[in-house]
Amino acid sequence: MKTFEEKWTAWIDGELTGAELAEFEASLPDRAAAEAEKRGALKLQSFLKEYLPCPAMGNEEFFHHQLRERIAAETHVDDPAESDAGSPVWWPLGRLIWVGATALAIFAVCTIFVMREAPTADQSQYLSQILNARVDPVVNPNATITKFESKEDKVTILWVEGLQSLPSEFAAK
Amino acid sequence: MHTEATPAQADVSELDLVKQCQAGDTEAFDQLVSRYRTRVFGMIYNMVHNEQDAWDLAQDSFLKAWKSIGRFRGQSSFYTWIYRIVTNVTIDWLRKKHVKGSGTEFDDAVQLKEIDPASRTVPKADALPHQRMERQEIRARIDAAIEQLSPEHRAVILMKETEDMQYHEIAEALGCSIGTVMSRLFYARKKLQNLLRDLYENV
Repeated sequence: MKTFEEKWTAWIDGELTGAELAEFEASLPDRAAAEAEKRGALKLQSFLKEYLPCPAMGNEEFFHHQLRERIAAETHVDDPAESDAGSPVWWPLGRLIWVGATALAIFAVCTIFVMREAPTADQSQYLSQILNARVDPVVNPNATITKFESKEDKVTILWVEGLQSLPSEFAAK
Repeated sequence: MHTEATPAQADVSELDLVKQCQAGDTEAFDQLVSRYRTRVFGMIYNMVHNEQDAWDLAQDSFLKAWKSIGRFRGQSSFYTWIYRIVTNVTIDWLRKKHVKGSGTEFDDAVQLKEIDPASRTVPKADALPHQRMERQEIRARIDAAIEQLSPEHRAVILMKETEDMQYHEIAEALGCSIGTVMSRLFYARKKLQNLLRDLYENV
């Protein structure tokens, strides 16, 4: 069901025909005024056509150039992987296996190296304690400490000479 | 609706060009731009009444068309499709500028837009100076009257009266029903008739 506005517009544009046209024209309360309005609308149409020509753009080449530049910039931004074009997104399975095995081997070598360098956990606590002890050169001018160590047997011998006394906390337990 | 295609360009169908664009061919897009740039520019110019703004909005419209051409399915003509983008871009821009059709009648106090005599929008016919001036004044009155319309009403009246588009084409371009287009035309025409009657009855 068309509204009055829709029918009026169709009537102005000559889109109403047949029974619809007759029905609409019969429904107009003041046919003469409506016809005058229609003539006015048609004059307005031709008036707008005459005085609203499609303006020439000018500098068409520059328009294209500018547009191409903007498209190129947008394309570059939208496709960051463009520079990697041609390289596969996923590595082949063989390469993945090789890389995995190599990484594992490097990890194993590093682990062994670090383990060999690490100090043994069962090293005598007295060694560090005595070496850290303050030996007063006035009280013990001739004090010397010599360490004998056998890693195979896990034995460390400290040979202390020249001490007047050994602090009680360093006594063998 | 005529286009700007040269005979050589016309050999390549619009749909073929669109398909090439969808494959990333910027040269094909260049051809489509060549076909429609003047009409697009003219449509925008008649809505915003400023050459620089019309230029920028035409650029934005074509750029947007390029970015979304992958979604063009050919259900309507490319012309209608690009007009939909153009009207969306332009109406959004007008809304951001807070352009609203006022309900007031035309007032001579409305500032008439001055048109640069050297402007390319001035008809190139060899009119006498007083005739040129008269045309400029009339054009300025029309522009001022159109500025009284809402962006949607501007789009409808310009597509219908200057582009000769059919109701269904305008509806597709604006993304609304044919009934809405006809209703908008009714009110836009009424308003322009009130604002410009003294001109079109006497010119």
